[in-house]
Amino acid sequence: MLPRPQSHSAALGPGCTGPSLANPTPLGLEPRPVRHASQAPACGAEAFVVDPVALANGQPRKHTQYPYVTGTSVLGITYKDGVLLASDTLGAYGSTKRYKAFERLRKVNDACVVGASGELSDFQFIMRLLEELSDDDFCMDDGHRLKPAEVHSYLTRVLYNRRNKMDPLWNSIVVGGFYAGKPFLGTVGMIGTSYTDAHLATGFGNHLARPLMREKHRPDMSEEEATALMHECLKVCYYRDKNSINRFQLAKVTADGVSVSEPFALETKWGYKLFQDPAANAVGTW
Amino acid sequence: MAVEKRVTSPLLEPSSIEKVAEVDDHVGVAMSGLTADARTLIDHGRVESQQHRFTYNEPMPLESLTQSLCDLALRFGEDEEGEAGMSRPFGVALLVAGWDAEGGPVLFHTDPSGTYVKYEAKAIGSGSEGAQTALQESYRKDMTLKEAEVLALSTLKQVMEEKVTATNVDIARVAPKWHLYTPEEVEEVIARL
Amino acid sequence: MAASLPMRATVPAAGSGVKQHASWSPYDDNGGTVVAVAGDDYCVVAASTRMSTGYSILTRNKSKILTFNPKCLIASAGMQADMETLHKVLHSRHVTYQFNHRRPMGCQAMAQLLSNTLYHKRFFPYYTFNLCAGLDEQGRGAVYTYDAIGSYERVGYGCQGSGKELIQPVLDNQLKAASPLVLPAQQWLSSLPLEQAVDLVKGAFVSAGERDIYTGDDVEILILTKDGIRTDKLELKRD
Repeated sequence: MLPRPQSHSAALGPGCTGPSLANPTPLGLEPRPVRHASQAPACGAEAFVVDPVALANGQPRKHTQYPYVTGTSVLGITYKDGVLLASDTLGAYGSTKRYKAFERLRKVNDACVVGASGELSDFQFIMRLLEELSDDDFCMDDGHRLKPAEVHSYLTRVLYNRRNKMDPLWNSIVVGGFYAGKPFLGTVGMIGTSYTDAHLATGFGNHLARPLMREKHRPDMSEEEATALMHECLKVCYYRDKNSINRFQLAKVTADGVSVSEPFALETKWGYKLFQDPAANAVGTW
Repeated sequence: MAVEKRVTSPLLEPSSIEKVAEVDDHVGVAMSGLTADARTLIDHGRVESQQHRFTYNEPMPLESLTQSLCDLALRFGEDEEGEAGMSRPFGVALLVAGWDAEGGPVLFHTDPSGTYVKYEAKAIGSGSEGAQTALQESYRKDMTLKEAEVLALSTLKQVMEEKVTATNVDIARVAPKWHLYTPEEVEEVIARL
Repeated sequence: MAASLPMRATVPAAGSGVKQHASWSPYDDNGGTVVAVAGDDYCVVAASTRMSTGYSILTRNKSKILTFNPKCLIASAGMQADMETLHKVLHSRHVTYQFNHRRPMGCQAMAQLLSNTLYHKRFFPYYTFNLCAGLDEQGRGAVYTYDAIGSYERVGYGCQGSGKELIQPVLDNQLKAASPLVLPAQQWLSSLPLEQAVDLVKGAFVSAGERDIYTGDDVEILILTKDGIRTDKLELKRD
């Protein structure tokens, strides 16, 4: 169990120094709300929480403390001869559908695509980093390109280093690729948490689509089967996630390269009785 | 290790001449040449050795320690910020003797060029040619400590101009810990010659 | 009624003036349990492979063990991103050690290095709970147990992570370690035969898997002897 020493920084929590030391925060000294037991980590000490209000101290914000324009889930599955990634094309400003044709799946090179949920400006910054790397590869002109596993590892370091600076890139990123005859699928979160798996999903997708994938996914699926599964997952996410729209893109990586589809819509049914008259059993609503 | 201390004047205090030094409790060095330069090397070796203990909680391997001394020996002529770098090579040869956790007793010879070579027995300094031949004739791998003391000191005696006394030689051993012989202990070895 | 439910977030009453927006923590607990048992001439190390966040499982197959050489490895629970970084740092330190000293790092050297590495981040710690395990110079099993900031101790067996509270008492009971207060000092190495130690570890994980939601899926088991490393796998419930 981690001992809980006197706090060095009220804003960061016990045993932790950070920006607030250089910039003392009277606001940060106010007691923070008690966290419910269900949110406390099961092993070790209380996780340290940064209170963005405490860090600001009337100064212009230098760090991203919350996201503005966000994208929702990105889904990814491997299949027999490649990887599929899918997401909708919405950039939401809070709950406003602000950008409806934002492409969140992007090609990195012939063997690799990335998809991002979370803050979209941070994603554009990350894409700039990746494009610089790809440009360097192009200039070397030796035919070598970053492998999907290398792109994934690189992004892990970028996101982890930014969280160390208390200035996170607010994204969950999925990296899909195909290299040496094998599909690659990995993800990185905003604090650098990373893993690879045969199927994955960020954000709500982890709750809504992952169970479907666990039930139906096989590594030896054909492209048709994989596409059908992906469509089903997208549909479930669209039905249940209010921050999503019915305008999707599907990215495919195989031995033949990368293709990102034109946006498409899925057929949906809203004809269920409860949908038609949702207020029937709720007195006082309309 | 046995070393001769040249007492050049009857007014000189022999115990102030230091030609063998402890680097760590498992390493000692004997020096020949500009002994002042050896101080820099020894200080460096002491720091390296302690740093290794701090990081890994184990004695530093002899070869690594010797390597780090040789690295320093080659660092002359470079611009070093703050700490004044050497503008010339070190003018000293060292015998680095010690005890490795795995390999047991080890002896290295380093020279001003930054080269190091491993030896079973080695003589350096003004009388080194004769002494090395003597060592070659009499050294055996299975010598006891007592036999080794006699071999080292008798070899030294052969190439010394003065008579061997407890004041003009130093003897040190690493077996497996560093120990510098007291004058009484040196007398005892002389008596066995 | 509703108030007793474990709410994930509290929504302030309208007009209360409290602005609500997402906040973040640089730390997360990804769960998982690691166990190591040292014997007279062996060491058994086991780690669950589930990786979670909150009530969600992220993946069922994430190794928590880093093997440096046939006589030394570390197993870590806690936050995955910190664990990965710590493992990368130690791996590179091990590689440079081999270049500099022409031999693999021994278990006690790695134990000290891990402690230093953790303590260097004393004021922004790696949120990891480690065991360093292997065989010592005499070929006996060695287990070192740590806290997140580098305090460490050599023990006969150890357990870290989300299932620690469930497994540690079982090991205490079954391996009957002498109290460190008993004088003269008793030996704390397990006198169990290897196969019994492996069975004990497996049993402990099965039990932890029943009650700890962060321990499940698979258990990766490494058995270190003078002949090298043997691996074994135990499947737990995937619920």
